[in-house]
Amino acid sequence: MRSQSIYKVPQGKLLKISVEYDEKKNKIRDIRITGDFFAYPEEAIELMETKLKNILIEREQLTEKIRSIIMEYHIEFIGVNAEGLTQGILMCKP
Amino acid sequence: MKEQWRLLQTGFNTAFSNMAIDRAILAANSDGKVPPTVRFYGWMPPAISIGYFQSVTEEIDVNACKKLGVDYVRRITGGGAVFHDKELTYSIVIPETHPAIPKNILKSYGRICNALLQGLKQLGIKGTYAPINDILVNGKKISGNAQTRKANTVLQHGTILLDVDVNMMFSLLKVPNEKIKDKLIQDVKQRVISIQNILGKRIRFEDVAEALKVGFEGEFHVELIQGILTKEEKTLAAQFEKKCFSTTQWNHRR
Repeated sequence: MRSQSIYKVPQGKLLKISVEYDEKKNKIRDIRITGDFFAYPEEAIELMETKLKNILIEREQLTEKIRSIIMEYHIEFIGVNAEGLTQGILMCKP
Repeated sequence: MKEQWRLLQTGFNTAFSNMAIDRAILAANSDGKVPPTVRFYGWMPPAISIGYFQSVTEEIDVNACKKLGVDYVRRITGGGAVFHDKELTYSIVIPETHPAIPKNILKSYGRICNALLQGLKQLGIKGTYAPINDILVNGKKISGNAQTRKANTVLQHGTILLDVDVNMMFSLLKVPNEKIKDKLIQDVKQRVISIQNILGKRIRFEDVAEALKVGFEGEFHVELIQGILTKEEKTLAAQFEKKCFSTTQWNHRR
């Protein structure tokens, strides 16, 4: 199932996320993170999208996974953060 | 003696060429082949640029663009969609290690935006920097800015509105309601302001460029020396334009 969300990050930018997920397993199959935020380096967003595949759509696990990707690849987000990305993903589910 | 930076006035170009030139200057500066560079330019035909992370179809009414002869291009910088029509666009390219540039990205936005504020002051306009990346006059946006850092080099580009055709702008851009709600502004048209709105008279591109030149010189304590693109930069720009910025693969990648 594919579903989208639009989420304005508090004090941040507008996040538009599209997720295709496995309803039975509650896991991300494919994700596209778009919006008017900033990320350094920019290419890190594609990496983030790849690394989030097969991750359980559950707040704590998502935030932890996103934080670990940010740490490991030295990504700097401006206008969005791990909590914002998590919220955006969760909002994709009805 | 003051440090000398290069000033480029490349006139009006297509969206694809404009983005390719900025990318080429970044590459040349990163290779140590050109000094820190400030560039002023315009867009012909009018165009929309979208941020690196944006979805082209979610931000732009592609059919309306085609109908109205407006180009669109994806930037290498993040940030939002911008309709480039009656405006001045600047770019600055400078090594990340240059003492003028704060290591902290947000602080460096502020520093470069200060140059724009000084420039506006030359025109008798009092603006304020609104983090992350906007400049406001009377609470309305007059300038948006976006920065990338690649190969130890900073590229920031941004716009100053000389005049604004809000109806045209919103016939091309798709604007979601959420953002407007959050900014507590009822009418979409109330969010932006131009130099001509403020001064109540027409202003020439050249006069704004001159004011901004003074602004950059003042903020960074440098002298901007009028220069031209090197042969290598031109070659690079042509390549970037052909292989990247004019391609569907790049512009529709998200």
